[in-house]
Amino acid sequence: MSEITLNELEKRYGETTAVEDVSVEIRDGELLCLLGPSGSGKSTTLRMIAGLETPTDGEITLAGADVTDQPAYERNTSTVFQDWALFPHKTVLENVAFGLKMRDVPKEERRERAEAMLERVQMGGYGDEDPTTLSGGQKQRVALARSLAVNPDVLLLDEPLSNLDKRLREDMQIELREIHEDLEETFVHVTHDQDEAFTLADRIGIMDQGELIQVGEPTEVYENPANRFIEGFLGDTNFVGSEVVGVTDGAVRVETELGYELVLPTDRDPDVAEGTELTLSLRPEVLSIERNPTADAAEGAEQPVLADGSTLNAVVGTVENVLYRGSTVRYSVSVNGTAMFAERTGASTDALTAGEEIRIEWDGTDVLAFRADGSRVTL
Amino acid sequence: MAETNSQFPRSLEGVRESLGQQSGSNRALLLMAPLLAFELLVFVVPFFILLRISFAEESSDLVYAEGTWTLEAYSSVLTSDLLWSIVGFSFLLGVVVTVLSVLIGLFYAYAIWRSTGLVKSLLLFSVVLPLLTTLVIRTYAFNPLLAPSGTLNELLLSLGLISSPIQFVPGTVGVVVGQLYIVLPYAVLAIYSVLATMDWHVVEAARDLGASRPRSVLEVVVPQAMPGIIVAAVISFAWSVGAYAAPDLLSGNITFAMQVEGLMLSDMRYPLAAAFSVVMLLLMLASIAIMFTLLNRLGGEFELA
Repeated sequence: MSEITLNELEKRYGETTAVEDVSVEIRDGELLCLLGPSGSGKSTTLRMIAGLETPTDGEITLAGADVTDQPAYERNTSTVFQDWALFPHKTVLENVAFGLKMRDVPKEERRERAEAMLERVQMGGYGDEDPTTLSGGQKQRVALARSLAVNPDVLLLDEPLSNLDKRLREDMQIELREIHEDLEETFVHVTHDQDEAFTLADRIGIMDQGELIQVGEPTEVYENPANRFIEGFLGDTNFVGSEVVGVTDGAVRVETELGYELVLPTDRDPDVAEGTELTLSLRPEVLSIERNPTADAAEGAEQPVLADGSTLNAVVGTVENVLYRGSTVRYSVSVNGTAMFAERTGASTDALTAGEEIRIEWDGTDVLAFRADGSRVTL
Repeated sequence: MAETNSQFPRSLEGVRESLGQQSGSNRALLLMAPLLAFELLVFVVPFFILLRISFAEESSDLVYAEGTWTLEAYSSVLTSDLLWSIVGFSFLLGVVVTVLSVLIGLFYAYAIWRSTGLVKSLLLFSVVLPLLTTLVIRTYAFNPLLAPSGTLNELLLSLGLISSPIQFVPGTVGVVVGQLYIVLPYAVLAIYSVLATMDWHVVEAARDLGASRPRSVLEVVVPQAMPGIIVAAVISFAWSVGAYAAPDLLSGNITFAMQVEGLMLSDMRYPLAAAFSVVMLLLMLASIAIMFTLLNRLGGEFELA
């Protein structure tokens, strides 16, 4: 068993607070991704789990034992560093065998185990190489083998893929995933790349400005973000400013900067009042584009409430810009002077051109709303 | 007319081409020429003069007899017990000072490397500071400090740690301390310059993999710092074996450099002094070669387990 508990963890450097009040339980055998922009405290949190930083406050338990004050070399965690930190004066094999040597494993045995680990990461036969001559991808594999060789309770990965090119990074993500499934060990993976987090994670913990904002499964955090920061960080979206103009049973009516009054269906009592400013999030994947705007979506027109409780919202705008992105085409659209964007898959043959009038539709239940302080309005 | 016009650019092209081909070796040689000339003038030529004198006969009215050839000086050097004891003391001083300066230098350089901000600046500044006073003065300053009636003895006496003063100077302890003080800044800077280029993450990686603090330094820092350690060792060793000022001011024993000075300036026995110098030079080269081999071997994997 190697579950990790972080309890009100805090790290301050003088006046600056790098990590503030982080509490989370990392389950045995899960792959948790700590995701956040640079400076969000995710690496510092990881380094505190590794024992490379001492928390200013709070505690860390590993498999039930308090390890808060235990130095790195006494913890059975192992870190793969962003720059891999291979020992430049040792051969690849000596690098991989290093942890075993520190554990006083006899020379023959550690040689065999290191070689087996190199095989596993597809670096068999590279044992006698000088690690400084390897490519980035190879160094990354050696670093992974070096960390896995000591059979750690917890493997900590500090953005080890961020220095690789896109293609290699994607291959390594799948490989890491496979290794994780094989070993059934607890992995904590730090990244700033949301695609990487979605690919790898059993659960994602999203950090911003030193705080852990939300922990949940990838679908959970994507579809049900705790605040506006997460909604913006996890993918491209249109944030549209609006103001509540009416709250009725089952619907919140808002006046948007798009010039349309929209209806947000709700199945509870949303904690908003008339005059509350809301930011709506319209993700490109919930928007559909219609070529010929019809009369009923004209400016200021009443939005229809459908029988099943969902609301079809629609706005009319002008295509300003066409951005071809391979698998998708992104259209910048001006709706009554406010910029929005929508996407279609690149396969569509009836490509839109700049200047064309289009109608953008979405289901009102797909819209997320956030208050001015970023907190989510539960609809 | 037309012919010359067309030939002119062609020949220029040819010149440029041949220049381009030669540039690799020739330009490099040209760049090094001043340095080579300097080395020739201040090292090679005087060395051959020295070598020549060492094979000359001694003369009663001149410092040596010009135009004579003999091995007499060398046989005197090799059979003199006095000279061999001087060689022994010089090398002892060299070895002790080198070991101490490399160990302390490594420790000090590591401290500078790991410190930040004002502490780092202060540590670096205090390494350079002794270099700003003249060698003789800062060496002689050990006399009032270490003398039997000096500050250190008085302190030890007043603390009751010793019952009678210890004679550090003149003596071996004094000369080791004095010489160490001379070479230490260079050792620290040589090692620090290598550490400064090192990635701290590799030390963290070693700790993360189970290496204790001392073990991580031994396994990761020392092997990587080896180029700096070698430079520090060679500077400390060469300077200490050939030490003149510190032994002269602080030691009861005579070192090789002092003996050579005596032979040349007091006894006017140039051939003997030259032969002694040549023998010393060969011994020094041999010891530095051995030192290089040993230390380079440590640059790789430490086999402790």
